[in-house]
Amino acid sequence: MNLLQQIVNGVILGHAYALIAIGWTVLLGVARLVNFGHGQMYMLGAFVTWWAFARLGLPYPAAILVAIGGGIAVGLAVQAVMMRLTLEQNLVSIMIITLGFGHVLRGAAALVFGAQPQVLETPPSLIDLEIAGAWVTAQDLLIVAVAIVVFALLRLVVEGGRVGRTARMVAEDPKLAELAGIDVRRVYLGVFAFEGAAVALAAALVAPRTPILTAIGFEEVIVTFVVVVLGGIGSVTGSYLAGLGLGLFNALFGGFVSPAYTTAASFAVLTAVLVLRPGGLATRGGGR
Amino acid sequence: MSGALRSLDARAEASRRAAGWRALALAAAAAALYLGPALLGGRVLSACVVLAIFAVMAYGLDLVLSDLGEVSLAHTVFFAAGAYAASMLATRAGWGGWATLLGALAAAALIAAFLGLITLRLREFVFSLVTYAAAVVAAAIAHNWEFLGGSDGIVGVPPLDLSVGPLRFAAGNDAELWPVAFALLLATLWLVARFRRSRLGTLAVMSHLNPRLATMSGVDVGRVRLAVLVLSAPVTGAAGWLYAYQRAYVGPDLFETYFLVLMLTAVVIIGRRLLFGPLLGTALILGQERFLSFGGDVDAIVLGGALIVVLAFFPGGLVGLWRAVMARAS
Repeated sequence: MNLLQQIVNGVILGHAYALIAIGWTVLLGVARLVNFGHGQMYMLGAFVTWWAFARLGLPYPAAILVAIGGGIAVGLAVQAVMMRLTLEQNLVSIMIITLGFGHVLRGAAALVFGAQPQVLETPPSLIDLEIAGAWVTAQDLLIVAVAIVVFALLRLVVEGGRVGRTARMVAEDPKLAELAGIDVRRVYLGVFAFEGAAVALAAALVAPRTPILTAIGFEEVIVTFVVVVLGGIGSVTGSYLAGLGLGLFNALFGGFVSPAYTTAASFAVLTAVLVLRPGGLATRGGGR
Repeated sequence: MSGALRSLDARAEASRRAAGWRALALAAAAAALYLGPALLGGRVLSACVVLAIFAVMAYGLDLVLSDLGEVSLAHTVFFAAGAYAASMLATRAGWGGWATLLGALAAAALIAAFLGLITLRLREFVFSLVTYAAAVVAAAIAHNWEFLGGSDGIVGVPPLDLSVGPLRFAAGNDAELWPVAFALLLATLWLVARFRRSRLGTLAVMSHLNPRLATMSGVDVGRVRLAVLVLSAPVTGAAGWLYAYQRAYVGPDLFETYFLVLMLTAVVIIGRRLLFGPLLGTALILGQERFLSFGGDVDAIVLGGALIVVLAFFPGGLVGLWRAVMARAS
């Protein structure tokens, strides 16, 4: 285990984490919503990509689009069911419903895709490259590139554009936004569609790194929590940096301490941050 | 004046008599509920033992969800903590049933206190987020830590020995465990009813319905939440204690979201803050799984689907739905 390889792994893992968490970041920062079915939506994205690529024989980029389409459909369905509760801001029921959706998705995925573990062997994951003495695959580079592009675009849209202003207004005061002539329902549907699309994209890119099972998704949820809380709730730039930091921490912890307890170590980090700085590290930024 | 006093006296006498009749009716109902499954035996009896255990598990969550209005997703951890503590103390230290019960209660309460303290100053969804993360992490630890049996878990839990002095009592099968499960359920019902009439129960509802008013009246909302969480955890932990003996095996599968979704559904499906709600809810769910099952995956969809439909469309639960239908009919 050399240090350089672990740092390179950490950077790649960090971009993967940031990408996995971005849907939640937007959901929370822009609409003050949460989704405990996030991990199962990740699992579904991975399986839809696998099914479109390995079973239907579509090219990998097309399979990614199919997965994103599926993610959007699930996101819209979840939000449509919760619309009344969302308008009431009934966060307790929303949290439990998203958890119920996670359970349903897992049962449905097991029914459709079976209990067998599958491997997503995408073309870029078969290309090995050596960079300054560390080995990476083309898939890893793809993750890093896509993560950077997504975050750059999002920063532009959420923190600069009209769409971001509208969504933030809805988050701050849905009733006032409605009075100002904003279609609040469409904003909520749009934000949840983005959550579905983003987590499916992340799954399509990140899942080829490990075997996929219908039971996966829990580790991704922890990663998402840590990134969201560490980055300052709802802050896009904060999430990117938090993802990167957590990736490096996990790669080094997994490489030099214990690979089995990286999730526990991430939780310890989360706990420490919450006890020391209850508002997260980037308390200014987009969070409150 | 004396007439008014006499009528007050008479009313007190009447209400005392009514309370006496109610206690008698409750005792008769309890006896019937106990004897029914005991006489039927077989599959029904086994289902009832597990029903009592899972209902107790759900009552722990009920206190936090219905009274406090917080979503704890760590109750699977308290359940598993009770089960792990019982099985480890029984197999490795050779402790009897009463001692392992104390161990199970203590393990659940300690973990709850830890989680409660780190989330003391956090807002509602961060509390849920941390409890959910804790459940996932606890599962990962149980899978990997040899001390907890790793992914093999702990096998060979001995029969439950609840002997007191010269009175011998050991339960090795469902028929023998039924009295214990039933007693645990009755004790839990008593505790929940008692809690709802207690000062802490009132403060919990107050902090739930109007936290600002509660704070202004000098109630420390954070401390109330901590106290209710630490009280609720041993209830769920006690269910885990008995489940360890019922299955004679404890493993990381206790952390599965199935238990969490089951608890949540049991609490909301009938209607919140109803004493018998979680018991009837658990009965509905287990009845479907045990006698009307469509296979594990479809059952998961049914269970999760029921949770979604109730919360999204019938927030008052089945009781609320029934009342709405009756109101329209009249």
